[in-house]
Amino acid sequence: MNAISVRALAFVIGLMVLFAIPKLTGNEYVLALGISFAALSVLSGGLNLVYGYTGLLSFAQVGFFGIGSYTAALLVTEQNWSLWSGVAAGGALATAVGMVIGYSSLRLSRHAFAIVSLSFALLCMIVARDWVSLTRGAMGIPGLPAPTINLPGGMRWRIAQPADFYYLLLGFAVFAHALIYGVVTSRLGRAMRAIKLNEPLAQSQGINPLAYKLLAIALSALLAGMVGGLFVFYLTIVDPSIFDFYYTETMLIMVIIGGPGSFWGVLASSAVLTAVPDLLRFTTDLRMVLYGVVLIAAMLLFPGGLGGWLHRRRVARWRQPRVAP
Amino acid sequence: MTPVQPLLEVRGLTKRYLGLTAVDDLSYALETGSVVGLIGPNGSGKSTSIDCMSGFQAADRGQWFLDGRELTGLAPHRIARAGLTRTFQTVRAYDELTLLENLCVAAQENDGVSWMQALLRGKTLRGADAAARARGLELLATVGLANYADAPAAILSYGQRKLLAIAASMMPKPRLVVLDEPVAGVNQTMVRHIEEVIRKLNAEGVTLLIVEHNVDFIMSLCSRVIVLESGSKIADGPPGLIRSDPRVLAAYLGNKRAAELDAGNG
Repeated sequence: MNAISVRALAFVIGLMVLFAIPKLTGNEYVLALGISFAALSVLSGGLNLVYGYTGLLSFAQVGFFGIGSYTAALLVTEQNWSLWSGVAAGGALATAVGMVIGYSSLRLSRHAFAIVSLSFALLCMIVARDWVSLTRGAMGIPGLPAPTINLPGGMRWRIAQPADFYYLLLGFAVFAHALIYGVVTSRLGRAMRAIKLNEPLAQSQGINPLAYKLLAIALSALLAGMVGGLFVFYLTIVDPSIFDFYYTETMLIMVIIGGPGSFWGVLASSAVLTAVPDLLRFTTDLRMVLYGVVLIAAMLLFPGGLGGWLHRRRVARWRQPRVAP
Repeated sequence: MTPVQPLLEVRGLTKRYLGLTAVDDLSYALETGSVVGLIGPNGSGKSTSIDCMSGFQAADRGQWFLDGRELTGLAPHRIARAGLTRTFQTVRAYDELTLLENLCVAAQENDGVSWMQALLRGKTLRGADAAARARGLELLATVGLANYADAPAAILSYGQRKLLAIAASMMPKPRLVVLDEPVAGVNQTMVRHIEEVIRKLNAEGVTLLIVEHNVDFIMSLCSRVIVLESGSKIADGPPGLIRSDPRVLAAYLGNKRAAELDAGNG
């Protein structure tokens, strides 16, 4: 068996294990971790596309996540929309907002985009808190109903149990990562990397940086908005804390430890870093201290993340003296 | 004037920085198939003029045309797609990509594959990718880097990076290639190698405009040399004439020394 089929087999087995978890254990705690992983990995995967591949530092992901959450929650509860149309609307609105902030700030510079994205995320929280007539302010919208999905064949799936949410979010995460993977392994992803590695060179080769940057932002906003719309029904409440800086911080750590521009690295670090704070729960006093130690150790051992480490190894291998071919 | 349309025509190009005029009313035309040198002392406006032509700086005045098509004021990526590519003085490469990837990226905006086709990975994409790989390998062989096709560009030496940049500028089959200091800071052996590569590419029909400080390199390679001083063109002609042009000597050596040389010659 060659390396590719081994990897494909490992991937399929891993996916089967993930989907079998609710059957193997009814432990709600494990399912909760799985749901967090599914949601956070979509956010960090989108950030990786924007920051890791295209090189744009973005704080806007949490804004897209919250916009999707509020949109889906409001449309489903107040307008009686179905879950999927509410989630799609949330994703669409997040994408539209992302295009506006991207187009307006990227015409200036990368730095302008970083600052505008940060201001945007902060502004989202203020709007959610102060536009009381729409969002009910700090109280938020509690008691979101368990959504129902119409399945083919006239069946209806009422998503109420943690296992249901686990399947729903894991399924969406698989779709989202497949989409991201499709982009980053295509020539579009190659152009994005080129823009990050050397933008003037890319321009001199006919690559339009703005178009690729907007594509990355739009895709990450769409996925973040949609996963937000699904995740709030698991939380059963949406309030301004959905825009909390905690999410931004978590996503950034996942991308930086996993290695910006490394698809599998960021996916792996998303899994590990979802689990680590909880694995450290045995010592409540030292938990956050140990979490910090893990992060520092990761930065020391893998500066540039997993992707950076792989790149350095590749360079070292080519620099070794070789027998003339 | 020849009746045929020139490949590149520059009319009245002007670029000012506050009070300083870096390029002053520069006009010239290039014929298809030629190798033309653009030389001049430091600060004479060589690099600024090509930065304007390739869209990386906004010109204050002037127009330029490639094959009769006006490129004035277009964004860099549009100028590249129109068929005018360039290399940079500060050698640029995508360090984390392999040499072959470096070259394939350089061609991908010119083969007509849409984003959708790229994502769906159908026949059009596979055909275009195969063509790019074949051309990339061929160019790597031309510049002598074929053994490193799958190595990351980070391992290359300075001179090899210049070769890679030249190969990349050729990838999309451009009409005109502008090389910004292709041999600055490389050793003599590499200078001769780069000269050979440029001759080979020109023999295949590529038109080149070469900006260089290395006057000997330009004189031996180019059929025509344009000399700038303080943003203006002071001489334009075959290398033999340029060498003895009193204004060129004055620009490079100062008026007094040039007069001495002139007296010595006479």
